[in-house]
Amino acid sequence: MRTLRWFTLLLCVASAPGLPVQNIAVLTDHLYTMADGAQGGPGMVLIRDGKIEAVRPGPHQSSPDGYTVLKAAFVTPGLIDTDTTAGISGAFNIPADQDQDEATDPNTADVRTLDSFNPNERLLKVLNQYGVTTVQSAPGPRNPIAGRAGIFKTAGIGSTPATVEQLAVREESAMVFNLGETPKITYGKKEKAPTTRMKTAEIIRHELSDAKGYEEKWDKWKKDGADVSKQPSRDMKLDALVPVVDGKLPAIFNAYRADDIDTAIRIGTEFHLRYLLASVTEGYLIADPIRRAGVPCLAGPVMQRFESLETANATFENPAILKRAGIPVALMTGYESYVPKNRIVLFEAGVAAANGLSMEEALRMVTSDAAKILGLDDRVGSLAPGKDADIALFDGDPFEYTSHIVAVLTSGQLSYQRSK
Amino acid sequence: MRFRTLPSGRSARCIGALICASIAVCAQPSAGQATLAIRGGRVYPISGPPIGHGVLVVANGKIVAVGEEGKIKIPRGATVEDATGKIVMPGIVDSHSHIGIIANPLAEDSGDANESSGPIEPGLRAMDAIDPADPNIRMATAGGITTANIMPGSGNVMGGQTAYVKLRGNTIEQMLIPGAIGGMKMANGENPKHYGAKDKAPMTRMEEAALARGIYEKAAQYRAKWEAYNKASAAGDKTAKQPDRDLDLEPVVEVLEGKRTVHNHTHRADDIMTALRLSDEFHYHLVVQHGTESCLVVDELAKRHIPVSFTIVDSLGGKFETINLDLGCPGTLEKAGIKVALNTDDPITSSRLIIRQAALAVRGGMSEEAALKGLTIYPAEMLDLGNRVGTLEPGKDADFIVLSGPPFSVYSHVLETWIEGQKVFDRSNPQDLRYATGGFGVADRLPASSRGGN
Repeated sequence: MRTLRWFTLLLCVASAPGLPVQNIAVLTDHLYTMADGAQGGPGMVLIRDGKIEAVRPGPHQSSPDGYTVLKAAFVTPGLIDTDTTAGISGAFNIPADQDQDEATDPNTADVRTLDSFNPNERLLKVLNQYGVTTVQSAPGPRNPIAGRAGIFKTAGIGSTPATVEQLAVREESAMVFNLGETPKITYGKKEKAPTTRMKTAEIIRHELSDAKGYEEKWDKWKKDGADVSKQPSRDMKLDALVPVVDGKLPAIFNAYRADDIDTAIRIGTEFHLRYLLASVTEGYLIADPIRRAGVPCLAGPVMQRFESLETANATFENPAILKRAGIPVALMTGYESYVPKNRIVLFEAGVAAANGLSMEEALRMVTSDAAKILGLDDRVGSLAPGKDADIALFDGDPFEYTSHIVAVLTSGQLSYQRSK
Repeated sequence: MRFRTLPSGRSARCIGALICASIAVCAQPSAGQATLAIRGGRVYPISGPPIGHGVLVVANGKIVAVGEEGKIKIPRGATVEDATGKIVMPGIVDSHSHIGIIANPLAEDSGDANESSGPIEPGLRAMDAIDPADPNIRMATAGGITTANIMPGSGNVMGGQTAYVKLRGNTIEQMLIPGAIGGMKMANGENPKHYGAKDKAPMTRMEEAALARGIYEKAAQYRAKWEAYNKASAAGDKTAKQPDRDLDLEPVVEVLEGKRTVHNHTHRADDIMTALRLSDEFHYHLVVQHGTESCLVVDELAKRHIPVSFTIVDSLGGKFETINLDLGCPGTLEKAGIKVALNTDDPITSSRLIIRQAALAVRGGMSEEAALKGLTIYPAEMLDLGNRVGTLEPGKDADFIVLSGPPFSVYSHVLETWIEGQKVFDRSNPQDLRYATGGFGVADRLPASSRGGN
């Protein structure tokens, strides 16, 4: 799909990344709002105070007075990476900047991405420059119970460095569980549990069961009059798991091999969890059980190296096969241990589009469908009045290798602009 | 879709071999005998401008004719394949690969790229560790690669002899290109410093350079000794004592004599300068491999005519020396007149995605023409194989690929890959398609619904 390219990005008012929020009109020949209705026609998006004010489909739009005008051939919502370690696993890949895996205890339910997230991490800037404006940043792959993920913007508002609170869309978004090879290899080397998949599952079931008992104990204490002298002792790990067993905090099960995905479904069903499956390298091999369980999938990067037996059956067609099976699918990049330090969902979606999906279907996996699966669709993932003005502007088909991102708006502010 | 099930691993290969034994076309990796004409496609000869409706005629494993349809005579009896609406271009040459030597999956015992017992290992030969049955090799043909430089890793200052191969055959002997002795892998910068953790040298870049200079000095001395002996014995001096043969130094002498090119892993600008300094001092042929910061020393590369085999990855980082990765760099090098190849460094990037590597260089500002050359003739020249592969010209090996659409579009696929007149990949074959889209084990796996149960 090759269409005209506008190499020029018109800026009527002097503007640079970091300037305060202003009113912007985005004009395009190919508007992908990813809201309901036909996609890809001409149109205009108006932005006021960081939010989308109006979306006006149709050709020959003229922008209202007082709006900075941005033009680009293709316009999409800012992209969403539904599961990455960007922000806590730094680009240099040395102990000084690696904070994704607290591999000292197989249960670190008490830790939060929020407390390690570096808003000035350069990988966040890289993602933003590829149009990724929202990430769910999650603890790494090594602990069976790894801790709580958070959802963040990749660029702040204003010219001063942002704090993590300023970037946070949701400070605690999910509890991450890891199955398969990595936990057992991590602890096997230390001659500690788990050294088998059996034990990994047992640790998770055990802790979830304990969290239920813990909650009951506290409920009973409150019911019995909340006598301070009889107050149960606090356990930070179980405390963190209570909203998970209550179905208030989603669980993310990171699993690669088909039987590990099946284990996740087994545990999710047993404890009535609200949960998502992540990575799902072999998801296409058990698409039917996933569909029957009604679990959305965050499909891992298919361009990833085959670093292990459990990723050896990766296929470019995984997102398409899962989608065709009727499973809600979004894309994620996960954790990278070496070069490159992070994958880019824009590129992953392109490969998905070239391997069994339509361009629009693939785009939904990194925008509207991703937002729905994460429960963020009231704020991001589509271009509609009232939503955050997170917008990616392209000079060609977003997925074409040779297209460029010409500008990115994050929360209504120009966070990236191509220099030529 | 159902696929024929075969037992996994080696036994499957034996069965495959038996099936093939009765079919002449796959019994031998030797050159295809039949005359074949591919007509109607847009042909990129690389040696000249694209031909809108072209014809490529091949026979006996060689290219016989290339040109515009109607102007090229298709020999009587030739098998004619219609490529209307498709693209025909030379087979791709990957100038930096580890397929077969780091086999899939990346289990500990399938990695043979880095002999981490010593930093100077010129006697090692990649050919002694390459598994021709590594699924990665078939995946590479699915990506359009026909020729590769398979190298030892970057863990050693001098990592061993590289292998220039065609991606066909069941033994490394069948893969090797006659007359091509391969290159010499070197590395500087971060990776060889891992010896420091074992309290062994090198633990600094200074020592890396010192070790490199040491081995070249030693090889120069060795060569001088042999020259003296050969001269004396030629003069009839019966007392001349023949020096002991040294398998480590022989290939280093080949480097000094310009017969063996050094492929130097080097990212940071100062490390690139160290590589240049060594090649200046010892007058050897150098290819800068990776070259992440090569733009910072572009003039130094240009004035020495040193080519760069550039590695692109999706994001910067993962290690210090790749932190300044810049998609714009290949284009900048091109503008300075430097020949740039785009490589995979498989397993860093899957060989299936090599065309994407060049497409990303175009995204960064390289011309499409230079990027096409960077997949074909430039890497061929870096392997001293420019007279044999890399363009579609009469007399060259019939290594070519057929694409479904424009080379640099994400939506285009490699449909066919031919090596010396034989089709080694065909996307319309479901087994081959697995190598284009799926993991190494995919051919052995079936969806649960097809296995029964549920």
